[in-house]
Amino acid sequence: MQRPRLDPRTKLALQAALAVAAFEHTTPRGLAVTTALVGVAVLAVGVSPVGLLRPYVVLLPFLVAGPLFAVVRLRPPWLVLGDAVTPALAGYRTVVLVTAGALYVRTTPVRESEAAIQRLLPGRVGRLLGIAVGLVFRFLPLVRRELSATRNAMRVRLGTEQPVHERISRLLIGTLTRTLRRADRLGLALRARCLSWNPTLPEIRFSWVDAPGLLVAAALVAWTVL
Amino acid sequence: MSTEFESVDPVGEEVVGNLARTALFAALMGGFAYVSFPNPFAPGIPVTLQVLGVFLAGIMLGPLWGGFSLVVYLVAGAVGVPVFASGATGLGTLLGPTGGYLLSYPVAAAAVGLVVHRGPTLRSLGDTSTALLVGGMVLGTLVVYGGGVLGLVVFGGYGFAGAVSAGVVAFLPAEGLKIAAAVGIVRSDAITAA
Repeated sequence: MQRPRLDPRTKLALQAALAVAAFEHTTPRGLAVTTALVGVAVLAVGVSPVGLLRPYVVLLPFLVAGPLFAVVRLRPPWLVLGDAVTPALAGYRTVVLVTAGALYVRTTPVRESEAAIQRLLPGRVGRLLGIAVGLVFRFLPLVRRELSATRNAMRVRLGTEQPVHERISRLLIGTLTRTLRRADRLGLALRARCLSWNPTLPEIRFSWVDAPGLLVAAALVAWTVL
Repeated sequence: MSTEFESVDPVGEEVVGNLARTALFAALMGGFAYVSFPNPFAPGIPVTLQVLGVFLAGIMLGPLWGGFSLVVYLVAGAVGVPVFASGATGLGTLLGPTGGYLLSYPVAAAAVGLVVHRGPTLRSLGDTSTALLVGGMVLGTLVVYGGGVLGLVVFGGYGFAGAVSAGVVAFLPAEGLKIAAAVGIVRSDAITAA
């Protein structure tokens, strides 16, 4: 039997409530509560937190620089260690929220998110956003491959010897021309397939497992507001 | 699959065309997150193309669809499409120290588009003076860095001076290069003909 899974809308509500609570309670006690909740979720999903957070190493310099800039003074007493507390707590809050976001991404196929967006956002804006996100997912690998192929072609022709702004222009003129041409073909293909405002979406449905999730989200919001 | 028992309501031709351009521009922004060039002003900090993508979205798609394209980019990243730098994804990335830059992108694209097209409707780029193009992109740069500093203060817990030192000073000189590149791109025959 398939394991019961949370509806993507419940997961989005949990993330939003967690973010609101973490911002309101950026204290050691508050962050202990949000960490415990995210910890339970990591255990329930059964992923390694290290593997989960590896792509976010790019944020590390900003997390380290915050406390550093806060403690250093340009005149005596040169260092005020107490001022590192606020940015350090904010940095830790980022780690908690990024982990929650990464868990959502790990457990939710883009197709389900697309359906959730189209159901959560009312009207045509939600439809357009859902369709566009799906298209980004499909075209991103192609765009990345093309950019990398163009750069390789420039490199072997000694393009690296040119000034940077000329290299950027050269890379982008080709890429943009291809993108605009591809957009015209895509538009034609979408019209040929009768793109409609009321497409058949993949089914997402609330089940009994969503009840505790929504309760936790409500409790987090109540903790923030009350 | 869920079934809807109603007649098909087709999306209009103009909207479909704009939607295709919008989505492909958002995908292009995702591609730009993985491209960097050496920085002649600060060798340790590579020049990335995302801010240039923001300028071009406003210039090529106009304020409305350009801004929407960047909203699509952010939502795609939030739900797990690896469009941000280093493949970072999820809502948490938007609420981290660099979230201010990302969240400012739609506003910046709309601002660039509004200045360059002198209003919400698209005009031919051939009629736009270079001064207006540059002015629009300078405004876009201000919006992105203003958002970035605000993000470092609100999400990162930085003080204002620390946020400006860490988030603006080292990165700003390279923006001139991007503006020069964008003018070259917009004025090229290939783009004018497309």
